[in-house]
Amino acid sequence: MAEKKQGRLTKVLDYLKHDDPFSKGVAFCPGCGLELLLRFIPRVLGNDIVITGTPSCSAPVLLGQNNQSWHTLSYFGTLMTGAAANATGLVRYYRKAGIDNTVVCFNGDGTANDIGFGNLSGAAERNEPFIYICYDNEGYMNTGIQKSGTTPFGATTTTTPYGSVHKGKNLRRMNLGLKMAMNKIPYTATATLSDLEDLAKKLLKAKEAKERGFCFLHVFAPCPTGWGADPADTIEICRRAVKTNYFPLWEAENGRIRMTKTVKKPKSVNTYTELMKKFHHMTEADMKVLQDDVEYEYCLLGGLSVLEAECQLPVSVKDQGDAS
Amino acid sequence: MNTTTAPSRIKVITGNAAAAIGAKLARPDVVAAYPITPQTEVIEQISTFHASGEMDCELITVEGENSAMNAVMAASLAGGRVFTASSSWGLVFMYDAVLAVAGARAPVVMVNVNRETPGIIAVSSGQQDMISTRDAGWIFLIAEDCQEVLDLVLQAYRLAEDHDIQLPVMVHYDGFFLSYLSEGVDIPEQETVDRFLSVLDDQPRRTALTPGQKLGVGSHGILGGYMELRHKHVTAMERSKDKFEEIDKEFAGIFGRPYGGQLEEYRTDDADIVLVGSGSMCGTIKSVIDDQREKGMRIGLVKIRMYRPFPHQALVAALKGKKGVGVVDRSLAFGFEGGPIYTELKAFETRLDGTQLISFIDGIANTDITKTNVEKMIQMTRDLADGKDVPEVTWVSYPEANTKGEK
Repeated sequence: MAEKKQGRLTKVLDYLKHDDPFSKGVAFCPGCGLELLLRFIPRVLGNDIVITGTPSCSAPVLLGQNNQSWHTLSYFGTLMTGAAANATGLVRYYRKAGIDNTVVCFNGDGTANDIGFGNLSGAAERNEPFIYICYDNEGYMNTGIQKSGTTPFGATTTTTPYGSVHKGKNLRRMNLGLKMAMNKIPYTATATLSDLEDLAKKLLKAKEAKERGFCFLHVFAPCPTGWGADPADTIEICRRAVKTNYFPLWEAENGRIRMTKTVKKPKSVNTYTELMKKFHHMTEADMKVLQDDVEYEYCLLGGLSVLEAECQLPVSVKDQGDAS
Repeated sequence: MNTTTAPSRIKVITGNAAAAIGAKLARPDVVAAYPITPQTEVIEQISTFHASGEMDCELITVEGENSAMNAVMAASLAGGRVFTASSSWGLVFMYDAVLAVAGARAPVVMVNVNRETPGIIAVSSGQQDMISTRDAGWIFLIAEDCQEVLDLVLQAYRLAEDHDIQLPVMVHYDGFFLSYLSEGVDIPEQETVDRFLSVLDDQPRRTALTPGQKLGVGSHGILGGYMELRHKHVTAMERSKDKFEEIDKEFAGIFGRPYGGQLEEYRTDDADIVLVGSGSMCGTIKSVIDDQREKGMRIGLVKIRMYRPFPHQALVAALKGKKGVGVVDRSLAFGFEGGPIYTELKAFETRLDGTQLISFIDGIANTDITKTNVEKMIQMTRDLADGKDVPEVTWVSYPEANTKGEK
């Protein structure tokens, strides 16, 4: 067993071909999923990427604070409203000027799913040649834990607090990854920090696929501070999110969905929610709503993957260029 | 000055077409734009140029104005020459990026086809969109006619990308009155424009975000140096006044069309009464001045071509010692007695050596600044100069505002 573990670890390290461009101590909370992901990306993709970041938890680290930088990457500071449009401007100019590039548009769920969704959608429609990565921590964490479109049913945030009348978010979370896959872009995938080899493979696939156009990675990235979790549990939360099918791992080439990890006997969702205070107030009835929603989404995903296999995507759609 | 002018051809085109042709002649690397009345024809024309291969640029047909400004901002900071166009609500929808472009000192050039903004169906002319964004940190230039639209787009690139300036420039022209007006426009040869813009290639290369380079650019202010950056922005704006004068003179030498720089002073030398205006209204005002000059009346016009930075030195020099000055605004400034340009000029009243100022508000919400209106403004300005009791503010096309005692 120990030997097998060692084997897996070595395999992940094999993907880390490049230096970590970030300094050792940065201004993130302990256990931050975003930090792990942010360090991982350039180690896999290389330090010659151009990364964009929004005003968010990533901003102080990506842009620096008080004239001091935390990293050595090329960086573009975007507005939350226009992150994908900024990345579009970069890749279009680089193409015009004949400059090789890998632009990574790096955003939280607030930008990707909510305030910046319009330009994300536009970039997908125009099949812009860059990689959009959403680190999904299910809320607006940098402004102090407010609800976003990906905040799950029941979760408390500072705008969906627990009160005598309303008890947490009374809406379901949106499935950001799936709605991007439905645009039939060259590559869409979900990933998380408990499955690093899977994440590394998907990053490399995206780098290759962006030569054909727009790529979207939806990465589940816990926020222990905002979720009321033990910082030591970040990876365990990711693991359980996968094992309960709360956050299934899949990829889609031109919209064709394929599971990259199948959980044979999914655990009930409360084995996931029990690790976080944001769910602690939920009743059994509430938990059933969440469980049903998880099962529904997973069922839909499976159904779509079967349907996609049966329905032939027209060649003209597969081989589309960008509208320019 | 060199009087041999370059070969050219005159075509009857709209203000929108003039803007598109100006952009084409400047050879931008990236164009991103979204349609809006009355600007739409600009991007239709550019799309046609792009489709036919006449224009070799990356054309980004974005899903909204906000993305247009964000895309050109990034392309500009990556080192490209960029262009976009909008109007009214479109300008408002891109406003966060408009501010970020200025803060990042990205030399973006755009045209804004002036239109009202108070309601979504305010499909009418007015400069309220310009006034509402006046302190975004952009250089604002205003065109009077279709020819000047084209010429200002070319001048805008020289100003924006100048090594000493590095600021975004917005060229404004009146929606409806100029956007759809067809008139003869002298379209310069490509090689003449290339020569005019080639100066920009000889200056030190500006900082550009290139893959692998250890550089951060974009919209976030760094707190440590923020005050310094803001001060540098202000001083660069101030420098742009003289730079614009230089560029305009050089332009006149090459293209044979002198405009006067920050201001055009029309028959002001011996005038005792002067109107101050901007944009398409100036054609009407000039026409009235010509008529009245024949009757021996000494009146003139100061046309504002550069509105941001506010050309107060040039205005004071042009207006000092005049008996009466009427300022015509196509927009509103709330809480002030008078229109926005009038209010700003008032700040320099003490430097005018006793020149009296009066405010006219007209040409908003589909009202036309007619010759009759201009004659009325001139008469009132003369009455002011003669010491008669004249209201400080007059809504020329809405007399009810003046009779009810409303300002």
